[in-house]
This record gives sequence, structure tokens and C-alpha cells, in this order.
Amino acid sequence: MKTLSRLETRRDQLIGVALFLSVWEVAAQLFDKPLLLPPVSAILTALWDLIISGELITALGESIFLLIVGLLVAIVIGFVFGTIIARSKTAYWMLNPYFSALFVTPTIALVPLVLVWFGFGFTGRVLVVVLAAVVPILFSVASGLRDAPGDLIDVARSFGVKGEIPLLFTVRLRAALPVLMAGLRLAAGRAVVGMAVAETYLRLGGIGGLIKSYGAVFRTDYVFASILPLSLLGILLVSGIGRIERRLKWS
Amino acid sequence: MENTHITNSSTGTSAIELSGIRKTFTLSEDKNAQQVLALDGIDLSINQGEFLTIIGPSGCGKTTLLRIMASLILPDEGRVIVEGEAVSEPDIKRAMVFQTFGLFPWKTVLDNVVFPLIVRKYPAQQTREIAIQHIKQVGLEKFQNAYPHQLSGGMQQRVGLARALSTGADILLMDEPFGAIDAQTRELMQEELMRICQEEQKTVVFITHDLNEAVMLADRVLLMSRGPGQVREIISVNLPRPRTEYDVRAHQEFVRVRGHLWRELRNDLIEQRTEEMV
Ligand SMILES: Nc1ncnc2c1ncn2[C@@H]1O[C@H](COP(=O)(O)OP(=O)(O)O)[C@@H](O)[C@H]1O
Ligand SMILES: [Mg+2]
Repeated sequence: MKTLSRLETRRDQLIGVALFLSVWEVAAQLFDKPLLLPPVSAILTALWDLIISGELITALGESIFLLIVGLLVAIVIGFVFGTIIARSKTAYWMLNPYFSALFVTPTIALVPLVLVWFGFGFTGRVLVVVLAAVVPILFSVASGLRDAPGDLIDVARSFGVKGEIPLLFTVRLRAALPVLMAGLRLAAGRAVVGMAVAETYLRLGGIGGLIKSYGAVFRTDYVFASILPLSLLGILLVSGIGRIERRLKWS
Repeated sequence: MENTHITNSSTGTSAIELSGIRKTFTLSEDKNAQQVLALDGIDLSINQGEFLTIIGPSGCGKTTLLRIMASLILPDEGRVIVEGEAVSEPDIKRAMVFQTFGLFPWKTVLDNVVFPLIVRKYPAQQTREIAIQHIKQVGLEKFQNAYPHQLSGGMQQRVGLARALSTGADILLMDEPFGAIDAQTRELMQEELMRICQEEQKTVVFITHDLNEAVMLADRVLLMSRGPGQVREIISVNLPRPRTEYDVRAHQEFVRVRGHLWRELRNDLIEQRTEEMV
């Protein structure tokens, strides 16, 4: 295959999107069932309406706030438990099964429990995001720290770095950083899903709430118009982290 | 045994003095696990400005001995005295050079060399100058901003050497530093090391598994044996310096010492083999 320059790739992507949208528009016009498949023009009108009414901005702000708080909490918890299971075999064998179980359990299945324990409030919604995102962070911290290159620890100690905490920051965490960023990237994707789940199944709010409430009144064009920024948010977040990740790698 | 201890002739205090060093390792985490005796009562005195090489079969405790000299690990018994003071932690008098280079892959050459000075909280401007000076000393001034993975093994170890030199330590502790470097580059680096150490009056402890290298570089060669972890012999190498100016390997002293060491090393390996078979 011929390798394409960045510009050429971008151009091809744009042509692809334009083609896809044109086919969609024409098909929707011919099909003429806007409830099932609204035309692109209707979706764009709906999007514009959501923007100028301020509805989208408010919802987006609410969602991003939830996402950031949830991710931060997940990072803190992931670091604490990741460090613990990296340093202690006993802790690893005791805790690992629960984290693995949490990793494979769909977040939506946990919503009823969160509802019973924490109610509809902000705490409950944050918890859903945390449950969705924490495990990849935790596992990447654990594996990053476990593989810490022993000789670099010796190097640091021989040149005067003293104590576990300074060693953690000068060597262990820095050496693990590429792995940590990969974990964070995975976690961010899952956090977006967790966020949408929390906003649609716990209490309506944010982008998730927008989607759910327009779905309930069968405004499919508005549903699409709300899904769009949600996907965009996820893509931006994940690719941003991926970009940082590539800059931190060394070979 | 011939040619054992040379007493400190001129300076008075030795650079490093070890007495009664014992070290055992426990093989796994549980309490009644098997114990490995790595060093069994090592006494050794290294003179200031001396180049001591250590050779011995693998697993005889060379690395363990060096790590104890660096205070990276503590002996179970015995004392380590550096320039007259008992030590238990790494300090600025000793610097290590590692077999696998030990460079931080995320730091540039300059940042790697500056690292020990930053850890020791030297003023920023000064650290940069010192580091650049030592990078020049090992001939890498063009590669200051390169990352380790962009350099050959020989160049990486030059960085390792520059880093050790930049600390200003009097004592260099080197664990098979040229073991992972191709033969020709290794010879060049041996010459450079001899030149630098002579110019700067460094005390060097240098582990190697290469007999030629051991004899070529050394004022004294320490032969360890799997007794386990004991000093089998210390032998002086009376070859004139600078050794870069003539063919050391053709010198009869080189041939004598090398031949002697090889017989001893061979005997040790054979004794070991027969013990294992019994
Ligand atoms: N951290 C350690 N834990 C357990 N055993 C060790 C450790 N370090 C060294 N040993 C053991 O001590 C002995 C000496 O090892 P070492 O000093 O590395 O030998 P050498 O460098 O001469 O090859 C070996 O039997 C080795 O297995
Ligand atoms: Mg070794």
C-alpha cells in the first residue's frame, strides 16, 4: 500500500465523510420517515437550535464537569490501589478478582446498586463514572510499577536519591508513565460511557439527559444532534491523551 | 599464595577498607527458605589512586561485593570504611558505572549526566557546566541532546562514565562496564579509562570476566572463588604506565600474570565441577 501524507489522509477522510453524509441525506429524503432516519439537514438544524438556545452548552458543561470529577477520583483510587497491589503479593491475590470482575461487569448493571446506596445525587453519578473508569487505571499503575527496572532504582540510589517516595517519583512512576497513559486513555473512553449511563439512568442531566429526554418525545433529529457532541467529546479526550502518550515514549 | 596484601605504602588511609564482610541472601519470601552465602568473610584494603580489577567465576559474589562497597546493600557482618570513615549509605565520594549502562531512557545525555548533581542540589548553572565538561571529556559533545536509545552501546557507556565523573567522586565502582560492548570499541574505551583515571588520580574498582582486560588495566587483580564468596588471591601487575604506549599483551609480565590467573581460575572451575558431581 502507498503511504499517504498527513494532508492526503485528512483530505480522504473529509471526502469520505462528505460522501457518507450525502448518501444519508438523499436516502433519508427518499425514505421520508424522519422518526426512524432524520435527514442530515434536519439534524444540523436541530444542532443549531440546541446551540443557540444554550441547552447544549449547559448540558456539555454539566457532562464535562461530571467526567472530570469522575476521572480524577478514579485516578486517585487507581493510584492508591494500583500501588498497593503492585507492592504486596497478598493484596494482589486478595483484591485482584474483584477488580477483574468490576472490569468485565457492564457499568449499567451496577446502576441499581448505586441508586440504592447513594440515591440520585451527584455522588452517585460520580461513582458510576469511577466504577467505569477505575480498573484500567489501577491495572496500568500496578503493572507499570511491578515492571520497574531494578537497575534504574540502583542508579538513582547510588547517586543519592533516598527513600521510597522520592524513588517512586524520580524513577518508578516516570518509567511507568507510557503504560499509565495507555491505561488513562482506555479509562477515558470508558468514563465517557459511564457518564452517559449515569446521566440517563440515575437522573436526567447533561448530554445523556438531553438524549434520553428527546428520545422520549420521539425527536430523533435532536437525539442525533445530541449524540454528535458526545462522540466528539470522547474522541477528543482519547486522542488528546494518545498524543501525550506518544510524546512520553522513548523508543 | 604469592603477592597477597600490599600494605598501604604512601598515603596512610586507604580509599576503601573492608573487614570481615559476610552476606547471605534468602531465596524467597518465606522465613525458612533456602539461604545463599554470597560473601564469606572478605578482608580487603584498596589504596588511593589504585586500579583494582576483580575477576572470578560467575555467581562468586563480585557484584554483591561491589554493591556493598557502594553501600547499595549492607553486609550482614563486617565493616566498610571509605577514606577513613565507616559508611552505610551511598555518598558523593563513590560513583558507580553499571553493566547495562543504567541511563534513564526518558532523559537526554545532558540530563542523564546532570542527574547526580541535581539530586545533590548543586546550583543549576554550575551543574550544567560540569556536565558539559565531562560530556566533552568522553567525546560526546555533539550528542548532548540525544536520547540513550539513539546511541550505540559504547556511546551509552561513555555517558555512564561521564555521569560518574561529573560527581567528582574519588572512587569509581564499575561492574563489568565494557561487558556489553563490542571488542574494538572496548579496547578504545579501556585506553580512555586508563588515561582519565591516571590524569584524575581516581581509585577504581573494576569487575570483569575478561582476563586480558583484568590484567591490562590493573595495578592489582583480585581473584575471587566460589568457596563460596572468598578472595582466592590478590596479585600485583608490575607493568609500566602509560600502558597505551606499547604492546602490553606482548610484555612478559602480562603473559606471566595472565597465565597464572588462568591456571587458578581453571583450578577453581574444575574443583567446582568435581564437587557438583560428587
Ligand atoms: N538479590 C539477591 N537475592 C538473592 N540472591 C542473590 C541476590 N544477589 C545475588 N544473589 C546470589 O548471590 C550469589 C552471588 O551473586 P553475584 O554477586 O551477582 O555474583 P557475580 O556478580 O560474581 O556473578 C549468587 O549465587 C546469586 O544468585
Ligand atoms: Mg555480576
